[in-house]
Amino acid sequence: MQELQKKFENRDALVAHLKALAPWAEGERSYIQGGRQKAEMKLANIDPVGYAETRNFGDGKITRLSPYIHHGILSLNEVRNDTLTKCGHPAEITKFMQELGWRDFWQRALHAHPDWAWTDIEAYKTGFTADDYADQLPHDLVEGKTGVGCIDAFIKELLHTGYIHNHARMYIASYVVHFRRIKWQVGARWFLKHLLDGDLASNNLSWQWVASTFSHKPYIFNLENVHKYFGKLVDTSPSANHPLDATYEELHSRLFPNIRSQL
Amino acid sequence: MNPPLIWLHEEALRTTHPVFLSAPAGSRSIFIWDDGYFQKLDYSFKRLVFIYESLCELPVDIVHGDIISVIKEIAPSQLYVPASNKPHLLSMMNNLKSIANLHIIQDDDFVTIPTTTDLRRFFKYWTAAEKTAFRKNGDRDA
Repeated sequence: MQELQKKFENRDALVAHLKALAPWAEGERSYIQGGRQKAEMKLANIDPVGYAETRNFGDGKITRLSPYIHHGILSLNEVRNDTLTKCGHPAEITKFMQELGWRDFWQRALHAHPDWAWTDIEAYKTGFTADDYADQLPHDLVEGKTGVGCIDAFIKELLHTGYIHNHARMYIASYVVHFRRIKWQVGARWFLKHLLDGDLASNNLSWQWVASTFSHKPYIFNLENVHKYFGKLVDTSPSANHPLDATYEELHSRLFPNIRSQL
Repeated sequence: MNPPLIWLHEEALRTTHPVFLSAPAGSRSIFIWDDGYFQKLDYSFKRLVFIYESLCELPVDIVHGDIISVIKEIAPSQLYVPASNKPHLLSMMNNLKSIANLHIIQDDDFVTIPTTTDLRRFFKYWTAAEKTAFRKNGDRDA
């Protein structure tokens, strides 16, 4: 039984140690560092009121606490208690508390229904059956070379950092399931590999929500939406994002030809 | 008889987890770095670095080996483990029941909701949850 080293001169030394320990693991380090000290620094800087107003924007005041919460470095209870000491009125922090609630909700749902992790909770509401969706992730998606500018930028960020904004996760999930017609399970497995906060409950049930197997309708988006929320951060020019450059009615007809538009 | 053991896994990397209060004072705490386990999960290098960095700050020994074999070798009288939803961990906890007296310790609840709450849609959960979500410790202390 071998005890492993815990003290290192610097981060490079730790990474070198880990490279030798896990040569089979793909990729490189993220700029995001683990540990309670980093988590507490992030917690001290959160802005729950600003979060409510800007959370959907790529440069909004999101907390980036999820890797620390997933790994139990911070508990939801600790984050909530800390937030209560900073904010006076509950109405100002409702959106933030709901976001913590989403994580609790996913955990409770999976605890009550362990089979929901990998099986369709409900049928797809897309006019297709599960058999119509592919079982493999194509190489262009794995490498972030789909030719759709914003999607490629989001995928590359995922691969390099292990973290992307929740809105970007929904765009990628929707693109994978609805634009490329690939099973949500395939995308969920891919995210779990790379996301530092990759959590079976939050991740997989969110993919099911996008796919419509855990919601009333499929989640889709168009270029106008990406431009509104991420226009300052990624290339949202129509020429670089042709498949997304359409109205919701056009996309609905194109992506779900077997069902009548419910828009 | 060997002393009690806390087996910490990658979903509970903090000393404020209730598992540390549940185990008797002086219990040894370990994290088992299991190559086979991580390979099954197919974690990228980024995830492994994040986990290792977090471990380095904790008062736990990082032991290299197969999880079940290491715990068998230590043969603790009592084994304390943080609860998880992860099937791989649940399966191992199930196997460990025959090796040690196993105590699975839940994390602190975020909210208190009726056990009958419908978990098919968030809105129904939140209607029940918001009653305690804005209270310190989810109103557990009340």
